[in-house]
Amino acid sequence: MSEEAKVGVFVCHCGMNIAGTINVKEVVEYARTLPHVANANEYVFMCSAPGQDLIRGGIKKNGINRVVVAACSPSMHEPTFRAAMAEAGLNPYLLEMVNIREHSAWVHSHEKKRATEKTKALIRMGVAKAVLLEPLEEFRIRMQPTSLVLGGGVAGLRASLDLAERGYKVHLIEKLPTIGGRAVRLGTIAHSEISGTDLLKPVLDAVESNPNIVTYVNSELEHVDGSVGYFKAKARRNPRYVNAKCTLCEECIRVCPVEVADEYDYGLSKRKAIYLPFKEAHPHIMAIDPVACNKCGECVKVCEPGAINLEEQPQDIEIVAGGLILATGYSPYDPPIGEFGYGRSDKVLTLFQLERLLDPEGPTNGKLAVSGSVPKNIVFIMCVGSLGITENAHPYCSRMCCASSLKNMIRITQLYPDTTIYALYKDIRTYARRDEKLYELATESKIKFVNFEKTPTVNVGQVGVSVQVRDATLQENLVIPADAVILAVGMAPSEDLSKVRSVVKVGCSPEGFIREAHVKLRPVEAPADGIFLAGAITSPKNVLETSMAGSATAAKASTLFSQEEYRVEPITAQVTEELCSGCAICIAMCPYGAISRKTVGEKYRAEVDRALCKACGACVAACPSGAMQQAGFKDTQVLAQVVAISERRTGS
Amino acid sequence: MTEKPKIAMYWCASCGGCEEAVVDLAEKILDVVGLVDIVFWPVAMDFKTEDVEKLPDGSITASLINGGVRVTEHKYMVEMLRRKSKIVIAYGACSSWGGVPALGNLYNTKELISRAYNEVSSLNNPEGASPQPSMDVDGTTLELPPLLPRLLPIDQVIDVDYYIPGCPPTADVTWNALKALLSGELPPKGSVIGASDKALCDQCPLNESKPDKVLIKDLKRPHQVIPDPAKCLLTQGLLCLGPATRGGCEALCVKARMPCTGCFGPLDRVTDYGAKAASFMASIIDLQDPEALEEVVDKLPDPVGTFYRYTLAASSLGGSVRGNKS
Amino acid sequence: MSESFEPKIVVFACNWCTYAALDLAGTSRIKYPPNFLVIKVMCSGRVDPQFVLEAFRNGADGVLVAGCHPGDCHYIEGNYKALRRITLMKRMLEKFGIEKERVRLEWISASEATRFAQIANEMVEQIKALGPLAPRLEVSA
Repeated sequence: MSEEAKVGVFVCHCGMNIAGTINVKEVVEYARTLPHVANANEYVFMCSAPGQDLIRGGIKKNGINRVVVAACSPSMHEPTFRAAMAEAGLNPYLLEMVNIREHSAWVHSHEKKRATEKTKALIRMGVAKAVLLEPLEEFRIRMQPTSLVLGGGVAGLRASLDLAERGYKVHLIEKLPTIGGRAVRLGTIAHSEISGTDLLKPVLDAVESNPNIVTYVNSELEHVDGSVGYFKAKARRNPRYVNAKCTLCEECIRVCPVEVADEYDYGLSKRKAIYLPFKEAHPHIMAIDPVACNKCGECVKVCEPGAINLEEQPQDIEIVAGGLILATGYSPYDPPIGEFGYGRSDKVLTLFQLERLLDPEGPTNGKLAVSGSVPKNIVFIMCVGSLGITENAHPYCSRMCCASSLKNMIRITQLYPDTTIYALYKDIRTYARRDEKLYELATESKIKFVNFEKTPTVNVGQVGVSVQVRDATLQENLVIPADAVILAVGMAPSEDLSKVRSVVKVGCSPEGFIREAHVKLRPVEAPADGIFLAGAITSPKNVLETSMAGSATAAKASTLFSQEEYRVEPITAQVTEELCSGCAICIAMCPYGAISRKTVGEKYRAEVDRALCKACGACVAACPSGAMQQAGFKDTQVLAQVVAISERRTGS
Repeated sequence: MTEKPKIAMYWCASCGGCEEAVVDLAEKILDVVGLVDIVFWPVAMDFKTEDVEKLPDGSITASLINGGVRVTEHKYMVEMLRRKSKIVIAYGACSSWGGVPALGNLYNTKELISRAYNEVSSLNNPEGASPQPSMDVDGTTLELPPLLPRLLPIDQVIDVDYYIPGCPPTADVTWNALKALLSGELPPKGSVIGASDKALCDQCPLNESKPDKVLIKDLKRPHQVIPDPAKCLLTQGLLCLGPATRGGCEALCVKARMPCTGCFGPLDRVTDYGAKAASFMASIIDLQDPEALEEVVDKLPDPVGTFYRYTLAASSLGGSVRGNKS
Repeated sequence: MSESFEPKIVVFACNWCTYAALDLAGTSRIKYPPNFLVIKVMCSGRVDPQFVLEAFRNGADGVLVAGCHPGDCHYIEGNYKALRRITLMKRMLEKFGIEKERVRLEWISASEATRFAQIANEMVEQIKALGPLAPRLEVSA
């Protein structure tokens, strides 16, 4: 400090709230004896106008340069007193409030003498800290009211539309050659007759036509710099090789020599290396799969409009955004080969594959053909990949698979009344609004429900497939021959997450999804400011929940964008470079990714991004050399309070 | 002819390593000897205490004192040297913060004597003899200075001008400090000289091998790991106190694949070395479950000995506060 | 232990949970002993073990470090860091001869004013029985 600290102590009566228990006169006299205290005053209500005048007067006329207000909790009036100080020309962070109401008068009213002694001690501690306070400035960032949305599924689409409708610009980045995500692949939406594609078509159209949304398909996010208010992102648009001149004449498909499994149908059908991603692909043109394509050029020869360019190069895209919405979805649980016979027989399918089979516009035109024919006996094994039922399974419940499976079972009974269905379940969780009805309907139909405690096994033999299960209700072992086994697999964390996390500083929850700031109170925000999480990126969700999450992130992002400047509290961590050894211990301490290690010549030093620092101080306590400190809570400042618990006068 | 500056060197409770460190200056020692007049150096020269007592106050330019103040004689000597010297330098870990002998502060003097003279398993003391303050032998009284209640760093007994860290200080650090001393370009009083202002990681060749986040799930003792010489020892689960320890030694131990034990002491902004070292070490144990945490911490048989190996006497509490109950 | 010994206990209270609980105790007029001197930190993760030792050195007979419940930390996981540090610190304090009842790490949420009062009463009783620490800081042979 260049100047000597002159502390003004202001003790409030708060009417009788404090004065009724504490001997305020004694306290004020005591305060006058403390080192560096230039004057001490009392007033009935320090927060009132005359009370604030006392403080302002002290600053302007008596040269007070540190203010200690002994009164109620800072949660009540800290801003009031800070404002009063600022009006008088003193930095508002040179204030230390001492809580003598909630923490003394109100809780020790039966021990007035001891309460007064405690009050003196608290003020002594407050003064000791105030002497060492330093002026602080709020940090401000210009807000860029544009959002980057990563992922073009339900969550990302909903978020983009909501933001665009509010007038904010959106850059939507999608890895695949089309937006739509996985929901478009649903055969029928529960409680309706329409397919996922039909459900989402209006949304896809709206996104494509909205002038505030720029969509980049075939693109991936490669690098992000900056922080809330001003993110600088680099995305890469990978070549599609086909441009808007494409008329979908399909001549290219006819001549393409390469055939691969179609991922859209989860491997149940084949497509060529040049293909239309799906019926409602947006943009509505062909795409070339760069991995499958052998660059033979046959398609180019037959393309009349000249829409194909096999020399197309990747393009770098630079985007500046004030906030990021991550909506990269999930990956369906992929059973390892052999789990419940998966991969060992074409009679064993996943729930996602079943959806494709039941889609009237799917690979079998809606006909449930498994291994060539309509199955007479279908066994659904529920909870596959969830509830820890196998070694490879996740421990959590995947939420959407019960309703989804029941929906499909009922559909099958409607389409194929002669087919017998067994549903083997560890638990049935039809929690949502109309989903219990599905369960009722299912039990009323001919579906046979078998509860298991011990995980069933699937036997793939020469003759066919059978499922063994111990019925926990009947306490009997059953062997069920099956023409089809449907594994009701759940949602697992997306396989894209490691790439996402290498680009954006977000952490993982124990289950492997991206971790939200607070699982109940802040479910769509990442801990770091300006990063929002929509949809299954944080946990399994059905379409409704995903849609809600998308809207929620748009609302959160709007709150951010509506501020012209983003203000950061100044009590942030700061590193003194001359003392920093670059040991990097602090970096892992920060849940917000606010600290990074930079190189200075050949050495390393820690660096704090003030826009991200939330001022918890965890890095400060960990810093082994004391180079990292927290403004307003420096070691010296807190230790001054600690030393002052003792009556010993420490002098200046 | 201008007089050469007078230098005195003295050892209190010391292992002798700091004396050897001065000798480690090797050829440079001849330069030193040429530039100064050594008036007192019990390990190497024949001057007696009374020779120093006869010198005028303040006539010694600098006294380098190593070892901690353990017995009354040490107290007498450092106070005397303080009077006679312009500058007093705490040389080495023991005089600066207590050093290894300060770990004795975890016990009272009765316990220390009892352990050394009655309990150690290799003892051969059938008469149960133990040191006495005085004894008559053939008409002469021999005296032993009694133990002080605790070992003290010299700055808890006298005013200290500078500190040279290390156990012992390396030849380079000693030479840097002596150069500064002789050139007269000294930092503010109370500073540590000859070494770095930053923690050891700044000088350590393994610092750049650290991943973005330094986190461990387990603690290992040196005999349990053959460390990969290209990776930071901390990330391999070893208790390397480099991040909390002042640099200056050029990471000698780490280069020999041994984790730093902290002999260059704390950085300037740290109040209690052991607490800070324990804080950072605990911080990087990446466990949330209290039981799992206790299991890992159990692997440290002697946390006080580990984190306060060289600095116990200078710590907040200075030693045990058990009181008179044993 | 004389009847007149009143332990001095320092509380490091995290701003969002424990400090708020102390405020709630105030507004609810819950009575607890006046032995506690509160030092506010933004998060229990800010509490440096050096603070705990300095508190003892300066006359504290007990130290209470309190923060949000695991999983509820306002700053995500600051309290876990406090847990790690205080766990290790407690081992060392035992060796220093400071009885384990003198240092407590507690999770006190913003609504747990009554719980704070219970802990407060308990700590005062236990430390009264142990006696003052300050005289033991003066070391005799």
